[in-house]
Amino acid sequence: MTELLAKEAQDEKWGMVIDLDICSGCQACVTACSMENNIPFVGEDEMAYGRGMQWMRIRRYWEGEYPDVMPDHQPMLCQQCGSAPCEPVCPVFATLHSEVEKINLQVYNRCIGTRYCAINCPYQARTFNWFDYEIPAPMNSYLNPDVTVRRRGVMEKCTFCVQRIVKGRQQASAEGREMEDGDVTPACAQACPTDAITFGNLSDPESRVSKMVRSDRAYKELENLGTEPRVTYLKGGKSYGG
Amino acid sequence: MAADVKPFIGSKASPHQESEAEELRKEHLMLDPMPRDEMNQMVMEAMTTTTRKWWAWVIGLGLAVAVLLFGAWGYMIATGMGVAGIRRPVYWGIFIVTFVFWIGISHAGTFVSAILRVFKAEFRRPFTRAAELMTTFGLAAGALYPLIHLGRVWVFYWMVPYPNARWLWPNFRSALVWDFLAITTYLLSSTIYLFLPLIPDMAMARDRSTGWRHFIYKLLALGWRGTEAEWFRLRKAISIFAFAIIPVMFSVHTIVSWDFAVSMVSGWQSSIFGPYFIIGAILSGISAVVTILYILRSTMKNMDYFIRKEHFDALGKLILIFSMSWAYFFFNEYILAWYGGDEALKQVLTLHATGPSAWVWYTMLICNVAIPWLFLWNKKVRRTPWLMFIITLLVNVGMYAERYTIIPLTLGHQRSPFDWGIYNPTIIEVSIALGTLCLFIFLYLIASRIIPLVPVWEVQEGQMSHTLRKIGKTEIPSVTELE
Amino acid sequence: METNVRMILFKEDQVDQASEAIETLHHHGISDKDISVISGVPFSEKILGRPMSWTRVPQIAVAGALFGFIIAMLLNFLVPNLYKLSVGGMPLTPIPTSIVVTFELTMLGLLISTFLGVFIEMLSPSFGPKGYHPKISDGYIGILFNCPIHADEDTCFELQDLGAEIVDVAEVKQP
Repeated sequence: MTELLAKEAQDEKWGMVIDLDICSGCQACVTACSMENNIPFVGEDEMAYGRGMQWMRIRRYWEGEYPDVMPDHQPMLCQQCGSAPCEPVCPVFATLHSEVEKINLQVYNRCIGTRYCAINCPYQARTFNWFDYEIPAPMNSYLNPDVTVRRRGVMEKCTFCVQRIVKGRQQASAEGREMEDGDVTPACAQACPTDAITFGNLSDPESRVSKMVRSDRAYKELENLGTEPRVTYLKGGKSYGG
Repeated sequence: MAADVKPFIGSKASPHQESEAEELRKEHLMLDPMPRDEMNQMVMEAMTTTTRKWWAWVIGLGLAVAVLLFGAWGYMIATGMGVAGIRRPVYWGIFIVTFVFWIGISHAGTFVSAILRVFKAEFRRPFTRAAELMTTFGLAAGALYPLIHLGRVWVFYWMVPYPNARWLWPNFRSALVWDFLAITTYLLSSTIYLFLPLIPDMAMARDRSTGWRHFIYKLLALGWRGTEAEWFRLRKAISIFAFAIIPVMFSVHTIVSWDFAVSMVSGWQSSIFGPYFIIGAILSGISAVVTILYILRSTMKNMDYFIRKEHFDALGKLILIFSMSWAYFFFNEYILAWYGGDEALKQVLTLHATGPSAWVWYTMLICNVAIPWLFLWNKKVRRTPWLMFIITLLVNVGMYAERYTIIPLTLGHQRSPFDWGIYNPTIIEVSIALGTLCLFIFLYLIASRIIPLVPVWEVQEGQMSHTLRKIGKTEIPSVTELE
Repeated sequence: METNVRMILFKEDQVDQASEAIETLHHHGISDKDISVISGVPFSEKILGRPMSWTRVPQIAVAGALFGFIIAMLLNFLVPNLYKLSVGGMPLTPIPTSIVVTFELTMLGLLISTFLGVFIEMLSPSFGPKGYHPKISDGYIGILFNCPIHADEDTCFELQDLGAEIVDVAEVKQP
């Protein structure tokens, strides 16, 4: 069992590809993410003041001059950087690199709330629990038992649905097989109506994500900072796809 | 030496010379010696006099600390960080600004009593202790902020390196842990540095007090008698401290600046931040010394003998020099960022000068550069204590504005325009910041009546080594080295 | 030989007389270790013609600095290995960051042990005749000496001629 885990550990390097050319900005991923990860609602005023708790946000920019404007959507989430700027600045190791999944972990009950990680995240992908948020009934019955609920004063962020990764690995090992492409689907990818989000193992060159990463439409957000993001965006010119 | 001055001025001097000597003595504390017992009496009197007004201030400030600082902080702990105005891109606001401000103020004492001591600047003698007290209390106020700004302050001890049941040590690669170590080092060592030269003065106070005061002073004097061995040991320790605390002081503000400079925030990542912050800290520290000296001089008994215009004059010159150095570093940092062509950085700089909070940026430049440069070159201004009081107060307003510009205003305008945001401080944040100011003044008020604010033995030592010497047709102050 | 602890006082501007008084005492066969000088302002031993006093504060300080340095080394290079956690593409025990920690802890060790040195030496018993007078903190220079009883009177008169103020034996006590 442990050998199997160790072997898989060497093989795992999770990544995501988001095709911006087919993203419609519908926010289904945002909603699915909130449901999956027990993310509280903060209310209109707080949201407007920039304290929304969404782990996945749709950044909407306008292109062109009014009245000829086109919305431009970019789902932004934790990029699970290979060389993450948020990690070394934490004084208490509340955010660190996982050796198995090669993702960026956030340990809620170790966090003391310095918010340094959030400052050092060039993607602003982290959210902070400004208060203890109560999830109103009947929504509290929907809480996902696989995910910790967080209290006030701790930082949180997208985990690539690490609970689903673990579940997928356990499933495969119970069935006595290797993990396959498509075994793990995070909530956002599952909910996306246009299938703009693809998730998979980047260390497998034949996986769907690995193939898409090699596309000539691929780019990484703020790649010049050297953070080695694990999320790749696909975006072509305006002529692409009509 | 006192004895040398008197016979010289006595019989033979012409009236002209005598008035010149009189002038010099009026001007310089070191040339205006007073018998030690009278000086002791003056210091003891200043220390033990508590007026009704003083009590009113102490009680008022004590209440203010309880409500503004601990009340607001307690409310914030119970409710959540959300009661502060910080938000998504601006995760650090007034708390960190005020933190940097207090750490800056705390550079005053070390600068005055270590650097000026090492270089034997004689004008430092009467106010080293007043400045060292600022260091200790400034740090006490500042060291609260790393706690205040924590989301979960009740587990702050997770940052402390000790073997624990969690099997987890702090991350020594994090600038915040360096901060913790540096501030602990500085707080402990500056408190000791305040205490060491205080021992002989504690003995002095012990000999002239009764009751609870006698008990405290006897305890703190550590049985001081003033034997040769005791003096020798004390001087050794003070000189070790004077040399060792200077690099510690530099490291503290450098590490505070590294909290910003090691990050990826555009506008923060700058190799000049260390010295830039140190110069700023010394500028604000010395200014605060002048502010406090003015208040001490005008509210405490007998202080006008010890604190004279010459001291305001000398400190005024230092402020002018440090204001110029600050401007040099500021310009250095600004022009390279501006020239470099990094788009995000350019945006930040444009925002500082033209954005909705541009008035902060202009306040910084006016108070830190324009006002000192316009006024402090003038000897008359430097020798007018109330004017110096106003100018130094403004310099500190400017330094606060500098930190405000660097922290929330820079954070609000990072690489992705979607995340830009404006930060509005809330009443809770302002209240906590004011609360620490009240705490600082409160502690200072109490301390000013408990410990001798003037290092009497250092002043006497200085007066013994200063004489008027006749060279040609006039008298010149001269210094003998007793050490 | 029976002795009395005697104390004489000089005003702060009578340094010359004080040094002469010490010389007189030497003439009377009272050695340096039977004399101690106390003052409200530091005077170097050379001024008074006394042997150099000694202190171990610098050695204690260096020992403290070494202790701090060792602690820093343990924190930098041992502790991260106890529970290996990797962050942001940094090595487990990077040298550059360890320099910061080493500096702070070495200085902390140095400065605290300097104070401890002073503290311990202050509380340790001192050599020479004991005694104190509150006038010392008024700037007086006090000379304490163990005076043989038979020479008592003569010595005192001689010192009085130098301008010394003889303190009554009953008043010479610890602070």
